[in-house]
Amino acid sequence: MKRKNHPLLGIHSLLVMIFIYVPIAFIIAYSFNSSRLAADWSGFTFEWYASLFTNRHVMEALGNTMTVALVSTVVSTLLGTLAALTIRKVGRKTKAGVGGLLYLPIIIPDIIMGLSLLVLFTQFHMPLGKMTIIIAHITFCVSYVYVIVTTRLTGMGGQLEEAAQDLGADAWQTFRHVTLPQIMPGIISGALIAFTMSLDDFMVSFFVSGPSSTTLPIYIYGQVKRGISPEINALCTILILVSVTLIFLAQFMLNRGKGQKKQSVLPF
Amino acid sequence: MKKSSLGLLPVLLWLSLFLVVPMLIVIGISFMGRDELGNVVFNLNLDAYATFFDPLYLGIYWDTIVLSVLTTVLCLLLSYPLAYYIANAGPRMQTWGLALITIPFWINFLIRTYAWVLLLRTQGVVNNLLIDFGLIQEPLQMLYTKGAVLLGMVYTFIPFMVLPIYVALEQMDKKLLEAASDLGATGWKSFWHITLPQTKSGIMTGSVLVYVSTTGMFVVTDILGGAKSAMISNIIQSQFLGARNWPFGSALSVIFVITSLVLIALFNKAMTSRHLTAKEGR
Amino acid sequence: MKKMKWAGLVLAATMVLAVLSGCGSSKETLNIYSWADNFDADVLAAFEKQNDVKINYDVFANNEDLLAKIKAGGGGYDLIQPSDYMVATMIKQDLLAPLNKDNIHNFANISDTYKNPSFDPDNKYSIVYTSGVTGIAYNTKYVKDEIDSWDDLWNPEYKGKVILLDDNREVIGMALKKAGKSNSSTDEGEITAAVDDLKNLLPSVLAFDTDNIKQKMIQEEGWIATVWSGDASVIAKDNPDVAYVVPKEGGTIWSDNYAIPKGAKHQELAEKFIDFMLDPENSAKNYESIGYSDPNVKAHEFHSEEYNSDKMINLSEDELSRTEWLGDVGDKLQVYDRFWTELKSGRE
Repeated sequence: MKRKNHPLLGIHSLLVMIFIYVPIAFIIAYSFNSSRLAADWSGFTFEWYASLFTNRHVMEALGNTMTVALVSTVVSTLLGTLAALTIRKVGRKTKAGVGGLLYLPIIIPDIIMGLSLLVLFTQFHMPLGKMTIIIAHITFCVSYVYVIVTTRLTGMGGQLEEAAQDLGADAWQTFRHVTLPQIMPGIISGALIAFTMSLDDFMVSFFVSGPSSTTLPIYIYGQVKRGISPEINALCTILILVSVTLIFLAQFMLNRGKGQKKQSVLPF
Repeated sequence: MKKSSLGLLPVLLWLSLFLVVPMLIVIGISFMGRDELGNVVFNLNLDAYATFFDPLYLGIYWDTIVLSVLTTVLCLLLSYPLAYYIANAGPRMQTWGLALITIPFWINFLIRTYAWVLLLRTQGVVNNLLIDFGLIQEPLQMLYTKGAVLLGMVYTFIPFMVLPIYVALEQMDKKLLEAASDLGATGWKSFWHITLPQTKSGIMTGSVLVYVSTTGMFVVTDILGGAKSAMISNIIQSQFLGARNWPFGSALSVIFVITSLVLIALFNKAMTSRHLTAKEGR
Repeated sequence: MKKMKWAGLVLAATMVLAVLSGCGSSKETLNIYSWADNFDADVLAAFEKQNDVKINYDVFANNEDLLAKIKAGGGGYDLIQPSDYMVATMIKQDLLAPLNKDNIHNFANISDTYKNPSFDPDNKYSIVYTSGVTGIAYNTKYVKDEIDSWDDLWNPEYKGKVILLDDNREVIGMALKKAGKSNSSTDEGEITAAVDDLKNLLPSVLAFDTDNIKQKMIQEEGWIATVWSGDASVIAKDNPDVAYVVPKEGGTIWSDNYAIPKGAKHQELAEKFIDFMLDPENSAKNYESIGYSDPNVKAHEFHSEEYNSDKMINLSEDELSRTEWLGDVGDKLQVYDRFWTELKSGRE
């Protein structure tokens, strides 16, 4: 049973969406601007798209960023969800302690996290590279997943799970068929935030990166001094297009395969 | 450790190694001294903490807290109705709503922030539009003001608020609302007494995420604020880099983390008692 | 329990994957750590080809990030490009390896002006790569008076249109210069006076900015600003109304340099690279492309007419004679930093 949304709500939502997308429209427009310094509009060009694909540095950075983001999202989603599920069953004191610990990575200033991890890695003679970046990203991403899944679990209550167990379901069946579907939107939202945080992290990645592991944010921050190349705008435009297309395709497949079954699934 | 809590083991191991150990190092450094070159030297003292009580740094921390609270409130006001709209839309719209809110934030943060510069500067689009419509004669100085910083912060952290609230709203027990309306409760009344209390965990999580992320942000103040105001994280940053005073930077971080944890705990408590009666009523 | 095994498995797989992806090709690799777009890509490719090596070029955004990273032991880099004062700091902290000049014969091509700089006498650890002077850039459309002194920034007519570099040493150093002192004064009385002077300038300041000052001047958001000569050249190309001057009180000269961190794995290759870059023809090609000043005197004849006639890239002897390097201020850096925080936060 869904209720109708009030029209005022619709207008508000639309306005917020416009607020979110106005700068994005600009980024897309400037990917076609022939001026390198993004100061003035000085003519339409496809130049940046052409040079983007021959820019070895950007392509390498993009590859590194995606590897890091995907791996850290998967691992931190597993770890964070597991922690959120388990923490319901422990005593109050443990809950407060572990819960506080899990908030820490969000609170700690990025530079502290980056520098202290760098010191740690060099002490252990771990070569800096993609692996150290992934470890660092998992460390902060796990918190985001944890807090969001916890939010979902807080509102869930245990009745359904108890009912399932009363009806003879074992722990795994209960988890698989009752708990998991219930908390799925939380897991997906958590994974989305984790992915976003990893994709956009500069400070922590900067310190724990080594030769050949430059990520996009590191590359872009480095470019600031000379003026960020519109190639990056072109890249952003392509990323948006690809993401939207992927979602569209996934929705299409899902509708064909499963009919009208209610499911909030994102293709990530 | 009991068997039931074994699931915490992986995350605890992970965080002990990659979070607790580095944090202990930082806490250690905060009690040390430094030599002229900025190297940390072993010389136990509380100087770094004493420096924090300089009115200059206290004032900056206060400014940071005020800005972060403002950002959180604005994000909440903008995001709640949007999350509500998405949660009540059909499944397909829900997917699109979530995706459309998250995808823009996959664009690098710097690029997004510079886009605001293009929009807000004196010869930027907003000013040109306002002049074209005859609303103003001279361009407004919108950039490099506190307002621009606030706007940038709200923009950056909206998804942090929308997603948790959506997660809470989506699972709300709709039967309660039906029952309420059967009993003659108006839309506003049932929102206030049923919807809001049921989604407070989402509001909590969202607010904490936005608040904490805002206090930790410094690039927005540099780009949209013209670097004319300082946030506590700017200071922490500069102690580790430019000023090469690691003990003071560490002490600031320790104070920052502790005050944030305390604020979160207080907020948590306030939220729990605030709607206690409503929650018990179900 | 099952869940845990699952998580553990994925974790292990992740680690293995990450380790594997860290392995590169077998060719000898020169790891360069520098500012973005600091070399011409073709010149780098020519070096790779000539020596059958791979160049791996990573970037940092400012000297302080570089120092923090190298100091914490991070890197594995063979060649870095710190600025002048950072070279001094890194020498003091014992982070740089002495250069073997026997591998860098082309060092002789460097102009005498840039040999034996005060931050590294005898060029034991560093060689100047490019350099510039902090002066005043102003837009002649709005600024009608003749500009020749730092004092002109304080002119109330430019209220709200002044942009200053976002750097404590540069800005406080500028105010010190204005008062006829050294830009690296360690006298607290002098520093305090300079800061008080700057507090009077604050209401006029539109923004503090180092990285995007170019866009702000091109777009005419600011009318008058403290700007590096190289950036002034970039601005003037996009907005011909903008002029540049080294004030009569003198300005701060800076440089980015070649240096090799201690413990670099490919020191000889790094030296070979420096030598290659200092070859007159390579040098001309490189600086022509990146648009910075070329300290290589032998390269002069290979440069284009346009490059050689750019007065903001090729500063005159007279202008250079009025400049001063930023010296190390030792522990007084804390004083500079606290004053800077006061200035920027508007609190005391």
